[in-house]
Amino acid sequence: MIEAVDTRAKGLRRPRSESVDLTAFLGRLDWILLGAVAALVGYGLWAIGGITQHDIPGNSGYYVVRQGVYAAIGAVALVAVVFIDPEYYRRHKRVIYVGTLSVMLLVLMAGTVSRHSKRWLDLGFFRFQPSEFGKLLFVLFLAGFLADRARRLGDSRTVLQTIGFAAGPILLVFIQPDVGTAMVYAVALAAVLFVAGTRWTHLAVLGAGALAFILTVLWILPSAGIHVLKPYQQSRLTGFTNPSSDPQGATYNVRESINAVGAGGLSGRGPKGATQTNYHFLPEHATDFAFASLAEERGFVGVSILLLLYLLVVWRGLKIVSAARDAFSAIAAGGIVVAFLFQVFVNVGMAIGIAPVTGIPLPFVSVGGSAMIANLLAVGVLEAIHARGTGPRRRLLR
Amino acid sequence: MASSGFRAGRSGSNRFLPPDPRVEEPYRFTPQLALRLGILGAVALIVFGILFFRLWALQVLSGPQYLHAALDNQVRSIRVPAERGEIFDRNGYPLVANVGGTAVELSPADLPKTWPARLAELRQLSKVLKVPVRQMLVEIKARGNDPITPVTVRESVKRDAPINYIYEHEEQFPGVRVVPTFLRSYTYGPLASQLLGYVSEISPAQLKSLRKYGYQAGDTIGQGGLEATYDRYLRGQAGLEQLTVDSLGHPRSDLVLVRPQKPGESIRLTLDLKLQRAAENAIRYGIGLAYGNRQYQANGGAIVALDPRDGSILAMASYPAYDPRVYTGRVTAKRLAAQGLTGATAKQMNYPALNRAIDGVYPAGSTWKPVTALAALETHTISSSTELPCTPDFSVPSQYPGFPPQVFKNVDPYADQMMNLPTALAESCDTWFYRVGYDFYNMPPSAGHPLQAWAAKFGFGKKTGVDVAPESGGLLPTPEWRKRTFTAKTDPNWRIDRSWKPGDSVQLAIGQKDLLVTPLQMARFYALLANGGRLVQPHLVQDVVEGGGGRSAPRVKRRFIPAAPQPVGLDPTALAVVNDGLFQATHSSIGTSQSVFGNFYPSIAGKTGTAQENPQTNQRDQSWWCGYGPAQSTEPPQIVVCAIIENGGFGADAAAPAALKVFQQFFKSSTQTTPLGSGAATG
Repeated sequence: MIEAVDTRAKGLRRPRSESVDLTAFLGRLDWILLGAVAALVGYGLWAIGGITQHDIPGNSGYYVVRQGVYAAIGAVALVAVVFIDPEYYRRHKRVIYVGTLSVMLLVLMAGTVSRHSKRWLDLGFFRFQPSEFGKLLFVLFLAGFLADRARRLGDSRTVLQTIGFAAGPILLVFIQPDVGTAMVYAVALAAVLFVAGTRWTHLAVLGAGALAFILTVLWILPSAGIHVLKPYQQSRLTGFTNPSSDPQGATYNVRESINAVGAGGLSGRGPKGATQTNYHFLPEHATDFAFASLAEERGFVGVSILLLLYLLVVWRGLKIVSAARDAFSAIAAGGIVVAFLFQVFVNVGMAIGIAPVTGIPLPFVSVGGSAMIANLLAVGVLEAIHARGTGPRRRLLR
Repeated sequence: MASSGFRAGRSGSNRFLPPDPRVEEPYRFTPQLALRLGILGAVALIVFGILFFRLWALQVLSGPQYLHAALDNQVRSIRVPAERGEIFDRNGYPLVANVGGTAVELSPADLPKTWPARLAELRQLSKVLKVPVRQMLVEIKARGNDPITPVTVRESVKRDAPINYIYEHEEQFPGVRVVPTFLRSYTYGPLASQLLGYVSEISPAQLKSLRKYGYQAGDTIGQGGLEATYDRYLRGQAGLEQLTVDSLGHPRSDLVLVRPQKPGESIRLTLDLKLQRAAENAIRYGIGLAYGNRQYQANGGAIVALDPRDGSILAMASYPAYDPRVYTGRVTAKRLAAQGLTGATAKQMNYPALNRAIDGVYPAGSTWKPVTALAALETHTISSSTELPCTPDFSVPSQYPGFPPQVFKNVDPYADQMMNLPTALAESCDTWFYRVGYDFYNMPPSAGHPLQAWAAKFGFGKKTGVDVAPESGGLLPTPEWRKRTFTAKTDPNWRIDRSWKPGDSVQLAIGQKDLLVTPLQMARFYALLANGGRLVQPHLVQDVVEGGGGRSAPRVKRRFIPAAPQPVGLDPTALAVVNDGLFQATHSSIGTSQSVFGNFYPSIAGKTGTAQENPQTNQRDQSWWCGYGPAQSTEPPQIVVCAIIENGGFGADAAAPAALKVFQQFFKSSTQTTPLGSGAATG
């Protein structure tokens, strides 16, 4: 029972060797979460198989195979991460922060441009998107930073310092430009502050500040003639409020996406009959609008299964927060789960016209290696926290 | 061990010693964190609740509606233009036919979605077709909320090199198609151009008002003239082909004919091609004569030829005319300007688009005298034997004491004899009719305004209702009209102008001052003189026929039966006296147009008119002649001709010889042409 106490940080004990009792360790994993994630990955591969069937003539399995390979790499990474004590991240948070920032700077300088945006590092065999991995590293750093100042959380200086450190990566992602991922980072920041126990008054001030910032960027500055966002970004962010405003222009994607989702009906049109997807009326149907394609092909039943799996993951994630061994683990888990929830909401909401159009991928479904591996890594971190947590024991003792 | 301190938060209050500030509190799952996790859980549930709710609404509740939209998305409907009906003259000569052409069409929905790609494609297209990008963008924008109906970028009769280039490189031009089309072909060029009208793509304003009659964007519609009036017969119905396309506009299926096109029906006119051509030439001839008489401002005219028995219009010429071929293919402002069809050039070219026969209004001049004569006879102001003096001038005592009398002059300053009505008509004595006009002025108010009342019965002052637009009704002045028109708002001298004065009646008697008539109204009145006092309904189209091209005999699908001529209640003896006067005018040695018609067979009766110059409008004398033939013969009159040469001087000098040309053509060819209504097409 001793391993639950955070004594190693003070150097009182050597970390217990975990290889000693592998079976016991495996028993401490959250198998429901793992099952849910495995189901999501499998379901996502099946969905992508249907969605991209007609994309590459003569090679209907192209994307599934690639995506499967990424999932396999991600699975290996997940297993590896489970064996790393999260404490390790807390201790090396500075390395994590500086490393993340430098890779992002590298992207800005030597990144590959695709669709007006510089997000990728071309490694030859793989186009690597640092901002996807950055989501996890960003949360880990902030959690470490806040956990070290657990006693001074009520202090507004701590909050401001946290925001100051967070601002760097957010800004670097924003100027790629990738507004969607920057939004995920910002939400992750809010989540870690929230879970760490920042005062309600501070949270309220931050919330008001964020609202004022959004209004300023989207509305007040443009009406004064200053455009922080590029016009296409602006119209995507605000276009969803009025999807019929410009059917051939900015809201084309949203309109076609809603058509695709609606056309799916209760049970879907199948990969053959999904004309919105197959005839390319639905843009980016393997990546950003994968949800709309899935909805067209598999209908309400199909997307319900997916959403229930997501809900299961979120539920298990929140349980892990409650069962975390120490403040760092709890804060990190909270950040990971909220960022995940936010991505699901914005991606699905965008496909059904209730959220702005941003390039946020649908976790475990959208085609993209970086996102797939990064998401599995995040699950690995959650499992590592769970394995060292107090959850099962607390129940035993009650 | 420290582990006991951690356990379930029990260590807080019952501590023995105060906490050591150097020792960090062990992590506990505090109620505070539990609350926050609860909030996160609630947020998650709300988020998923919203997503499920919205998905349920989209997919299950309104799924069919979106399915419909999705199916629409991939099906492109392509209209198959229907061949428009042709327009034949009464003998089956095609006046307006069709030729096959090629059109380059843009489907805005299938153009590239991103602006740079779209602009690049339009630039490329512009380079090939020589159509400005700006113009294409304007037309695409005009489609606005209807991205499905294609925009016709260029039409051409020949399939020329640029079109072939597009056709061969169709892959480079998504959303652009080369399609066969029909273009109007005007066999006789400018012949009867104002009458026939032209066609063009339906305008947004027209579409708005005509959509309920089945018109659609992209339809070709008659603009003006007979093309407009009879559009519902001529237009036919476009067919519909469907095609599955992907989002880039690339076809994914073969064309499927959903609804075959229905060619338009042809119409056959009462117009006689040869007579029409003769009439148009006659105007130019009349203008030439006017030039010979130093009337150098003669620059326009109109001739109407009417069958007095049923109102069939045999010829309706208006000069100057334009070449309707400027409206086929690509219509450019430059080409229109060259024909005087734009606002800037119309005046300079003397309004070639104006159909002067029905929309040009002129003072009637002496051709009006039969109206006055009939009204006077009917009201017993005069009788057939009444002799009145024809004097060099006629004075009307002034209404205002102390002012000198108003003097109206005769055209012939040496005339001085008593004459009866036929002689007065034959010689066109103005003072004779001034007296009659003054008699009308002096009638008691209980008598009303008999001159205007009879003129109205003869069809003046209102539109004839001929089946082509736009038509003017002219102006028949009455005291009421004066009162209505001249008010304090419109006229500084309104106190004087609003009253009907003796001069108004006196001048109206010879068709001057405010009176305005159209040549068609005059022709209709002379038809009434020729047919025994019945007002005819002038019309241009006799039937709708099926089968075009003139290769096979067209089948009559629908015959237009004009309203039967309406007797206006004239005393036959009065009519006979007036007709006698008109016959003398062309045959007696004193007759005004005896020199023109005296030796022509069959005999013609008719009246000259010289509508006097109006200094206010800078018009010179309008040269008129109206009459009919054969006159005083065993046969009833077969044709009425009314001619006006604008600024042409004396009626006998320009209009009468022009009218003679029409009679010559009519009586020369009337023995050769197929009789009306036989249905044989000889084209």
